[in-house]
Order: sequence, then structure tokens, then C-alpha cells
Amino acid sequence: MATGAKGCKELFSEVIETGLCALCGACTGTCPYLVYYKGRIALLDNCALLKGQCYEYCPRTYIDMDVISQQVFGVPYSEEELGTAKEMLMVRSTDASMREKVQYGGAVTTLLSLALAEGFIDGAVLTRTSDDKTPSPFLAQSADEVLQCTGSSYMACPVLGRYNQIPKDNGNKLGLVAMPCQVLAVAKMKKDPPENRASIGNVKLVIGLFCTWALSPDRFYQFLKENLDLSKVKKFDIPPPPANRFDVYTASGRTSFPLEQIRKFTMPTCTYCLDMTSEFADISVGSVEGIEGWNTVIIRTDIGADLVEMAKKKGKLQIDKLPSANLTHLKEASLLKKKRALNEIVKKSGDKNNLLYVGLSPRLADKLLA
Amino acid sequence: MANIDIDAPGTSQLLIGNEAIARGALEAGIGFAAAYPGTPSSEILGSLAQAAKEMGIYAEWSVNEKVAMEAAAGASFAGIRALASMKQNGINVVSDFLANLVMSGIGKGGLVLISCDDPSAISSSNEQDTRPIAKWLDIPLVEPGDFQEAKDMTKWLFDLAEELGTLCMLRSVTRIAHARGNVKLGELPKKQLKAYFDQIHDLKSVMPTTFMPIPSPLRHFFLHMKMDKAREKFEGSAFNRYVGPNKADLLIITCGSCWLYSQDAVKALKLEDRVGILKLGTLWPLPEKFIGEHLDKSEKLLFVEEIDPFLERSVMEMVANLPPSSPRPIFYGKRSGHVNAYGELNPDLVIKAISTILGLAYQPRDIEYRKKAEAFAKSNVPERTMTFCAGCPHRATFWAIKNALKLDGRGGVVTGDIGCYSMALGPTGFFQVRTMHCMGAGAGVANGLGKLGQFGFDQPVLAVVGDSTFYHATIPALINGVYNQSDFILVILDNSATAMTGFQPHPGTGMTAMGEPTKVVSMEALCCSLGTHVEVCDPFDLKGTIATLLEMMAEGGGAKVAIMRRQCELVRAKKEKPPYRVHVDPEKCIGEACGCDRLCTRVFLCPGLIWDKKANRSKIDEVTCTGCGLCVDVCPQGAIIKEAV
Repeated sequence: MATGAKGCKELFSEVIETGLCALCGACTGTCPYLVYYKGRIALLDNCALLKGQCYEYCPRTYIDMDVISQQVFGVPYSEEELGTAKEMLMVRSTDASMREKVQYGGAVTTLLSLALAEGFIDGAVLTRTSDDKTPSPFLAQSADEVLQCTGSSYMACPVLGRYNQIPKDNGNKLGLVAMPCQVLAVAKMKKDPPENRASIGNVKLVIGLFCTWALSPDRFYQFLKENLDLSKVKKFDIPPPPANRFDVYTASGRTSFPLEQIRKFTMPTCTYCLDMTSEFADISVGSVEGIEGWNTVIIRTDIGADLVEMAKKKGKLQIDKLPSANLTHLKEASLLKKKRALNEIVKKSGDKNNLLYVGLSPRLADKLLA
Repeated sequence: MANIDIDAPGTSQLLIGNEAIARGALEAGIGFAAAYPGTPSSEILGSLAQAAKEMGIYAEWSVNEKVAMEAAAGASFAGIRALASMKQNGINVVSDFLANLVMSGIGKGGLVLISCDDPSAISSSNEQDTRPIAKWLDIPLVEPGDFQEAKDMTKWLFDLAEELGTLCMLRSVTRIAHARGNVKLGELPKKQLKAYFDQIHDLKSVMPTTFMPIPSPLRHFFLHMKMDKAREKFEGSAFNRYVGPNKADLLIITCGSCWLYSQDAVKALKLEDRVGILKLGTLWPLPEKFIGEHLDKSEKLLFVEEIDPFLERSVMEMVANLPPSSPRPIFYGKRSGHVNAYGELNPDLVIKAISTILGLAYQPRDIEYRKKAEAFAKSNVPERTMTFCAGCPHRATFWAIKNALKLDGRGGVVTGDIGCYSMALGPTGFFQVRTMHCMGAGAGVANGLGKLGQFGFDQPVLAVVGDSTFYHATIPALINGVYNQSDFILVILDNSATAMTGFQPHPGTGMTAMGEPTKVVSMEALCCSLGTHVEVCDPFDLKGTIATLLEMMAEGGGAKVAIMRRQCELVRAKKEKPPYRVHVDPEKCIGEACGCDRLCTRVFLCPGLIWDKKANRSKIDEVTCTGCGLCVDVCPQGAIIKEAV
């Protein structure tokens, strides 16, 4: 199943109307017709083009994983649970004051600040939690601005729309912090560079986040608004298992919701997502089960390796080996997500030969479906 | 507009029909004229207002037709000759008052109502024929067949109204109202007018002077007596005449501009000695004796009239009443299908009807030649649909509405009204307007939609209305929405002009018809006084306007008001130079490529932007562009550049 000539009409019929849209933002930003607004993609007018980049770069339209992997890593798609990886580590920032502000160990903030300071990138497209606690894309151009983007709201955010908005003649080198679906979209762009947008070649660093699912920025936000005074919220957190909680920290303390209560607000598309660890990023970052204040880091490319090495040399990151139990557990979780998602996809398509957007080798598909 | 107050009796002036009517009113010595603008009637009051100071009369643009008629009646009650003029739609607005006015009778000052109908609805929402109201409500009715008659009939109608003590009506149509012809002028009266409403205890009259429709049966009886008297006057009127042979193969019965079409048709067919034309100027009550005298001219009657079969049906009724031995003519017209009961007529259509009845083969012109001529004429016309002007604030408003509704995502509905913005039914307003009826109906319809929540209706409702229409007929609908808590947003498109009819002042403009400064009736103060949420936006601030509309749609809770304030571009351009010089950077414009797909020339459609097919880029049409700069904010590539002038 190849992409062929498809445009926004098919984007709606195949992705948006079927509940597959991840709100990554890849179809928005340059396009005057597709606009992200309050948790959905709105079509402002009919685009008459039969072939559109909106469809092409959507992480929920057909992706040949081998082709994409070849583009990013120079090898076919890895059958390993965590995808193509050079090294799995456990890191944390050496800056204790920073660690208080960040979600876990401050790896993302540290690496971005370093990349900016070293002129490795001129800016980074990140997610910033606005005053009303909705997540919105943000182009950070200094360490201070990077710090404004710490913490997660766990809600989907159309970060790629902000990249698309950068004028095409802008030559600044960019970093990107993205969810697995967004990393997939960027990988697609790297394979077939978009026209009339800032060069994808300018994206020098992709930091991918671990993700099991994201929450609907529309329905979950409504839920929060009804249950909390959002103006007082300082931080959201989903502590690693077996906590099974969604925690909200305010000045006066912590409010917890059972994860079961929160799960109904997850994006429907997350059920069909195979990627837990942002397999096409330069570096993937997540928490470490059972060890507070540290990040799991998967180094996937030379760029990623160089940056972590530099952080180590400059004393910005404290680096340790990831305990083998953690690694095993991470692999299990990642594999489980792949298996679950693929089975759900088959359930949705009603045909085990129709994996919707997922282009896997038959052998790997069979293995995951078994 | 021509000067209608030239004091040169006996000379001929080139006047449009509306100016001729206004001149007739001046010659009749009117003191008071009131109207609401509406094509094709507007130049009547327009030219009277222009001459008002010189002639010592009063002229006003009233807030609506009903008030205009009532105000004119007030003048009549105090002994001043008065006129109210309007387009056909206005007759409906004023009909409630008319039904009572015919019963109460008029005052000592003659009172005349002018209705300008618009066959084919060239500038209207419909092509309603207003003649039937004369029959319905018992109003003496005349219709001029040319420009001279337009003046002469109007003048005569004031005498008639005073003699009968009842309102008289003149019906005109677009082709009389707006066409131009020679009119021989009469004398202008010099006498000083004095207004006085008779006192209750007046030595001269036993009963106090009171204008009321009761007791209704008795007054109705009197009204019929007045109509009988009118009929007698009409029987001998010189506005009715017959042209043609004593014995004809066909008798055309016609009135108004169709009199001209009929003459042209008979002449073109060279049938002057076979076809007779009975031209009627006084239409109701029917001059039955006069018509009866000509009925034996032919066995075949053809009725040529626009729009309804008014004469056709009335003559049928008359013939049905003739003694049994009378000859029974064959009726041709709308009922038989020989003449359309819709749309304007023209000489070609009359020729076709005559040819069909008489079995003639007539080809007005060679078909091939006709096709070539049409193609040649079209070759010089730029491809353009009905559109808002370049720089029109309405385009910005509908762009904001369209985007706000799409972002809101609940399938919001826009109800429309009467004005330039009615065009938003089509591509220039991005097809946003979904209903369009009469003045004020948009807000009225929104009242209903906004109360359907209990039936699962959750689509936001926006009622768009122009500033003049707001004052005219929308205020009661808004009050209803506030009082009955109907969920809709009244979007007032305040371009500070009655733009579609020619920039007549209205209560929001601070200017009277006679050019005097006056109080501005603030629409936001008025709306705020209802205790509802009122926002004022500049539609050229697209972002802000969209955000405001989204917020108002999200908040619900009864009728609210969003005023879109920006002056009509035509008014601005008359006073100022363009604010910006605008050009398209061909390097940045990506044309039909993904990421634009010609948003500006395919969707936004400002006539100031054109698509250069050769270069595959958009460009500015420097002749049409008014330099408003709005497209700069619409272009997704930042390819349209504006520089302050």
C-alpha cells in the first residue's frame, strides 16, 4: 500500500474522521486550510490539490518503516524492542537547582541548553505550558526560554505546526523535542523534504520523548478545568508504575487522580501507536522506573552520541549505566506496546493483512501479531 | 441627480422617471416627503431632498417605510400635501398602516404613495407586484406609461386624493424609474404652506376631526363610495387611450412600461393596422365603461403587463359581468401562457406573444449574427461574479465569520438580511449566509434557531445585518432575543452607510436627508441598554474579530451583539487616498503549490487580486486595488507586501 496522490480529502477520510489523528501538527502551520484549534484539526476551506503534504507527512498515513529507517539510520527497520540504538543510559543534570524545575532528571533541558550554547542549534521547537495550562508549541531561542518549557502536561500538542510556520528562507539550525508520532512525521519529512517550508535539513537535533499515550487537549483539559483551579497548578506527573496515579502539584500540595479515571481521556490514536520510545529520534528520553530524579536516555545516532559526550565532558550531565532490570523492563514495555497496537490495528481494519498506516516487513508483522 | 426645481414652465428637461415623479410632486405643491431608500425608488426622495431647502419643503429619509408613510400621513392630517415613496418590499412593511389609513381617510393635504416595483428583481430580493394591494385595500391606483406621465400623474394624484379624501397610489417599475426621457415642465407653486391640526371643538364642524378606522363597517361603506367616485374620474382620464384600427385582429391591453414594449412590438411587426393597443393609466378601480367601449375592437385580447395578471384577471371579472348577449373575447396572457407571469417583459417577448397568437413567423435577427454579437460583447468583459468591492469591510467580516465557524466546529449557521452583504450567499462572502428574506428577517429567523436547544440543536447562530437594516427592522427581533433568551449573536455590519442604495444617511450617520447635522443614534448604546453583551470589532483585525466571535459563540446565554465597524470603502475612498501600496512578491508567492493553492484568488476573491496565468503567481490589479492591505494578513506565505503611502 503506497501513499499515491492523496490530499486533505483523504487526510480527513482516512485519519481525522477515523480517530487516528495524533494532533502532531505536521499538516498545519504552512497550510492555510488546515488549522489546529482546541484539540482538533479544522478545515477552513476546501483545498483543491489532489496531492498534499498534509497527507504525505501525516504519521498516520502509510509509512514504510524500512525506507524511513534507511533514511535516518542507514539500515532497515530494527526488530529490536527499542529500535535502532547505540547505547542505553541513565542520566541526570548536574545542576541541582535545575532538577527542581524539570520533570525527572533534566536531560532534555540540559542537552538543549548545551546545544544552544555550543551553536549546535539556534533554536528549538518545544512545548510550553501556557498560563491557562494548555500546552502550546514554542520556539525557544535561549537557555532561559528552554527552561520555560520544562515539565509535561501529558496532553497532545501540535509542535510540528510551529516548525512549519518558520519562514522557508530562514536558515537557522533547529532542535526539536517531540513525541514518537511527531518524530515519525519528521522522519517522513527527512525522506521526502517538504517544499515551501523551512528546510528539514535545518533540523539538526531531534530529541524524542517516551510515550505510552497522550491525553486529549480538549476533553482532558475540560476535565481538569472542572476539577481544579488551573491557575494554581505547578506541575503534572504520572509517576512510574506501580503508582497508577495522575498527580497535580499546586502550591498547597498534591492532588491525585487514579490513572483509570484519566485513561478515558487518552487520544484514541494512541491505541494504534507502536512506538513507545521515539525510535527515529537522535536521542530518546524518558523516566527511570523506581529511580526518582533520573532520565533513561537512548542514544540512536552519531549526533545524539556526540551531544551526550559533550555534556559529559562539560560536566553538564551525570551519566550512569541503566540497571539491567530497568532495561529489561523497558524492552518488555516497548514490545508490549507494539504487539497491542498492531493487534488493535488488525481489529480496526478487520484484515490481518491490512495494517493501516504501518508498513512492516511481513516477517516482523507476523512476529508482533503472534 | 438632475435639478428638479428649475422654474422654467413649458421647457423640456431630460429626467429619469423618479425625478419626473419628484417634479410632479413639487408642481403639486407638496410640503412633506418621506421615504426609506430602496432601488428602484431612491431618487424620488433623493431629488426632493436636494431641492427641499430651495423649495421650502421638508424631506426625510425615515427609519423605515412604515414610519415614512405614517409621517407623511401626519403631514396630510395637518393639511400639508405629502408623499411617501418606497420600493415594492416597503409596501409590505407599510401595509398594516395602509389598511387602517384607507378607513380613517386622509387629512386636508393630499397624500400620495409611490411604489417602485422591480420586475426580474434586478436590485431586490423578490419581484413582487404591488398593484394588487390597491384592489385588496381599496386604494385608487395609477401607473405611468412614460416619463411625462410620471410627472403629470403624480401632480394630478394630489388633487384626486384631496377630492376623494383618500390615499392615492402610483405604481412605477424599474424601466420607468431609472430610464430617462423628455419631460415638459409645468408651473411651480409659489404659495406659502400652513400646517394646522383642527381643534376638537371647531365651530366649522360638528364632529371633531379625528382620524381613525372605526366604526369599521360604516367607514368601509364610505370607502367604497370614494372608490366609485374614483372610477367615475378614471373613466374620462386622458391617461387611458386607444391606438389602432377600429376593427383589429388583436387587442392588446397594457399599462406602464409594457405600453412602450407593446408599441415597439406592433411597429416591428408592421401590424399597426391589424393590432390595437388599449393603454390604461388608471388601473384601479378599473374604468369599466372605457374598457367596455373598446372590447368589441377584437375577439382576441392580449394582456401585456408585469408581473401579475392584474389587468387580465380584473377584465375577466368585468367580462363575466357583461349581459349574456355580449361577445365573449378570447383571453391571451399569463393564464394562457403567452406572456410570462414572472420576470421583466421586453419587446421581443411581446413580439413572440403576438406572433404566436396571429400565427406569424418573425425572426428578430439572424441567429448566427446574434450568437456572434453576444460572444463579441462577452469577450471584453472580465470574468467576475457578483462581488464585494475591493477593500470592502464585509469581505473581512465574512472571512472572520467563516474561519470562526470552522474553528468552532459545531456547524454554525449565518442568517442573512437585505443589503450589500446579501451577496454573502455567494462566493464573495464565502457562501456564509444561509437565509435571506426581508429586512430584519435574519435576526427574526435567528430567534427561532436560537431556541432549539431542547431539540438537540447546538449549532451557533449568527444573524448578520447592516447598520441601516438594524435601525429599520432588527431592533424588535433583538429585544425578543434578549427577553426570550434566544442563543444567537447579532452581527451588525456597520459600514456607516446605506451603501447598496446609494449612501443615504441613516440614524447612525449623524446627517439628515437635507444635509443637516443631527444626533447620532448610537447602536452600541442602544444594544447595551438591553443589558446584553455587546462587542465592537474592527473586521480588518481578522485575528481579534475571529477570537471575539469564538468567545461569544462559546459563552452562549441569550442574544448578544457584535458590531463590525469599518466604513464602507467607497465612502472612504471618496475622502482619502489609499492607506497602502500593495504588491505581491513573486519570489515568495507559491501560487498553486501545496501550502497555498491560490488562497487569495481562489477563495478570498478580492477583485483587487488577480491570477497571472502565465507567471503562475498572484498579482495586484492596480486599477481595482484600493490599498486596504487586508490580503497581507490572509496570504499564508507572507508574499503580499504593503507599504504605507
